[in-house]
Amino acid sequence: MTDKRRRYIRMFALVWFILAVAGDIGLALGPTPPFTASDLASSQSTVIKVLSVIAWPVFSAVLAVIAFTLFANRVAPHEGDVPPRELRGDSRPQIAWITASIVIVLSLAVYGTVALANDQPGAGISTASASLPQPASASDPLEVQVIAQQWWFTYRYPTYGGIETPQLVLPVGQKIQFHVTSLDVVHSFWFYALGVKADAVPLNDNVFTATPSQTGTYRVQCSELCGLWHGNMNADDAMVVSSSDFSNWIQQQQAMDAPILKYLPAYSHTYAPNPLSYGS
Amino acid sequence: MAAVAVAARGTAPSLSRRLHAWGLLLAVVGAAVGFFVGYALGSLAIGEGNASLGSNAGILLGYALSAVGFLAGMGFFNYPVARLLGRPVPTAEDEAYLHGEGGGLARYFRLTTDHKVIGMQYVVAILAFLFVGGLGAMFIRTELLTPTPTTATAETYLTLVGLHSTLMIFMASAAIIGPFGNYFVPIMIGARNMAFPRLEALTFWLLPPAGLILLSTVFLGGFTTGWTGYAPLADQNVLGMDSYLVAFSLIGLSIMLSGLNMIVTVITLRAPGLRFTRLPIFVWGVFVTSFLGLLAAPALIGAIAMEAFDRTYHTTLFVPAGGGSPYLWENLFWFFGHPEVYIFILPAFGLIMEMLPVFTRRPLWGYRVAIGGLVGVTVLSFTVWQHHLFVSGLAPALRPFYMFSTEAISVPTGLIYLVALGTLWRARVRFSTPMLFIGAFLFNFLIGGFTGVFLSDVPSDFTLHGGYFVQAHFHYTIMGAEVFALMAGLVYYLPKMTGRTMDTRLTRFQFWAVFLSFNGTFLSLLSVGILGMPRRVINYAQYLQPLNVSATIFAYLLGGSMLLFLGILIWNIVVRPVPAKENLWESLGVEWHVPTPTPAHNFETVPTNWSLPYDYDTGRVAADVGRSVPALGGATL
Repeated sequence: MTDKRRRYIRMFALVWFILAVAGDIGLALGPTPPFTASDLASSQSTVIKVLSVIAWPVFSAVLAVIAFTLFANRVAPHEGDVPPRELRGDSRPQIAWITASIVIVLSLAVYGTVALANDQPGAGISTASASLPQPASASDPLEVQVIAQQWWFTYRYPTYGGIETPQLVLPVGQKIQFHVTSLDVVHSFWFYALGVKADAVPLNDNVFTATPSQTGTYRVQCSELCGLWHGNMNADDAMVVSSSDFSNWIQQQQAMDAPILKYLPAYSHTYAPNPLSYGS
Repeated sequence: MAAVAVAARGTAPSLSRRLHAWGLLLAVVGAAVGFFVGYALGSLAIGEGNASLGSNAGILLGYALSAVGFLAGMGFFNYPVARLLGRPVPTAEDEAYLHGEGGGLARYFRLTTDHKVIGMQYVVAILAFLFVGGLGAMFIRTELLTPTPTTATAETYLTLVGLHSTLMIFMASAAIIGPFGNYFVPIMIGARNMAFPRLEALTFWLLPPAGLILLSTVFLGGFTTGWTGYAPLADQNVLGMDSYLVAFSLIGLSIMLSGLNMIVTVITLRAPGLRFTRLPIFVWGVFVTSFLGLLAAPALIGAIAMEAFDRTYHTTLFVPAGGGSPYLWENLFWFFGHPEVYIFILPAFGLIMEMLPVFTRRPLWGYRVAIGGLVGVTVLSFTVWQHHLFVSGLAPALRPFYMFSTEAISVPTGLIYLVALGTLWRARVRFSTPMLFIGAFLFNFLIGGFTGVFLSDVPSDFTLHGGYFVQAHFHYTIMGAEVFALMAGLVYYLPKMTGRTMDTRLTRFQFWAVFLSFNGTFLSLLSVGILGMPRRVINYAQYLQPLNVSATIFAYLLGGSMLLFLGILIWNIVVRPVPAKENLWESLGVEWHVPTPTPAHNFETVPTNWSLPYDYDTGRVAADVGRSVPALGGATL
């Protein structure tokens, strides 16, 4: 190894080290989408932060090696060939590389699984076959059924007599259990600020839980291509409000819906009329 | 052979030859006849009393039969039908004619069984798909300058999205294998042709009908599903959906048959002494990809057939109300769709690793590790498809498994990087234009890979899924890696394929333009994705506008630099040909040591004495082909 090459290696290693440390500090301290409007969003931010902090040094190290080799090994296009030591392979770096990547992958998978279990406990149990939920006590999560259709969302509050509204209003600090379904094609319910995204599939109940932690007005939108007006299937009026405001709002809705509340179906996974049944 | 071809010119051409000569014209007639017959049959079979349903079946059957008619006109059935009727076997003259010997430019426009002609046909087709698909991208980016519709209606916009994505998928399925696989695999393994030359021609001639049928969707109302064709939305679509179904199944057929042909060719036609451990790494890339194509594409074709039944016979395979399930389409589609992305990238890996030793003037470091990487990706790629369904509500209990398998595939993919870095480590790097593209490939795919980590992790995927982050991620892998490999390959191999070369200074300028504008575009789109923009929307939140404007401006520059590439290529290769020096990159690969233009049957004698084509320390050519072009040390300069 020549002195020049050794100097280059030190130079690139130093640049990489500075970049890696500075980048990681920035990633760790900076705000990370989808931010902190719910426990779920915060947890996703943390996961993204952790992955970024792990990924950035590795990513920049590979780039640094590529940049170093291209820089230090450059020759004029047709300079004579006097190749130095010719290696066709070397088992030590290979074993090290493979071991390192397997370790990283395993730890990512374990970390992701643990984070998933914390975010969505019991997710996967509640599918279409789940029994009908009972009216909730105060400690239970508030159930909100999200009914997607071309091209809007309707929200149904089964524990409040099954009122249905075109606007999503949620109490802050209360655990919300979203039950997402669709009347026609596949949609996806995306409440970005809460970190909730669940495909709406006909006759399927897709369950997602999150606890909003900041009041405010947010955007909900469809994130699965669902036909002509997919781009318009969004609303900027989803609200997270204090629990007293929420009670007032619910009472208002119930009063408004009183004449029809008795006709609304109990909590159910099927809807009528079904727009996709053929041959009727 | 040459003598035979000369003799053939003297005699009156046989019927078979005249049919082939007029193939393209007959094909157009055949396509038209096929369409009307199919349309009438389809309408009669189902349409009675229900006009709209009838035309649905009519269009499907019409397009299917028009493809058959097109192929019949091209002459694909002449041989089997003649054999069925007990006609005499084709004469040597007929076979030579079919092979394109002495055919001049005309052989590029008819059924030709010479793999080199087919490779050139693929070059043109791939560039055409890329051009039309790229125009679609420009329209899409123009519309997204503003958060509300301005230049397009929702219907036009979604059709543009569908056309851009589907055309680009068609392009990407064959971008490396089509031109370079067909042209160079037989030469690299010392074969005189492919195992199934007619089948090989078929894989190419399925592309023009597929492309035209897909484009015809604009006359039939377009389709709103994008390239993923999710049911039951597909059931609601008007006739334009049928274009998508037929076109995509033709491409599926092409991928499958190409895979079959490549597998048999590599297994059976290697020259004596060319063991699997001496195959050029590009051939390995093509070989493993062929298994993916052969095994994955049938799932797509089957799913499309089921969707066609849903749309015509009103089976309800994908309709929940009738007992079917949208998940069935999603599973079948992605069971094809995920191996499909490795069909894009594995040949590109092979091509990049094939070129690296040439420009680093040293052996490929860790050849066996590279094979391990390619095989590992191939096997694992069949186990990851449900990461497309992480938020679908399907089998959430399986999510940890698919998270693990998706992350695990980064281990074999990482091996490709290990080989690249190992090769670069002690290299003598020549910064010719292909080398610049190789560097950009490594950079872009690295971003594509690392953004994939965030998508494979279920909790972070919850927020990124179905958004522009995903869109930018796969553009980094498909465009940033595969299309960059295509450009590298064209600059590198066109001198061999055509005897003409692209201008160094122009392609260098073009490289920097395309590299910077590409990254500008898709870094902007990664950011809008993280900030919450869903894919395929014509309306988006106001706060995302600045980043979208930035993406669009860079996209215009990107479109311009892609056009520039096309312009340089046409100018230097076709309009004002610049003759290329023989073996101008000083490669040790066999393909560079056969004469240019490569003779009709590649080799006078079977090449012997095979080794890996990367012995830049000794300067040994990969095989003895009876001649060699000095390749070391600038000795020829």
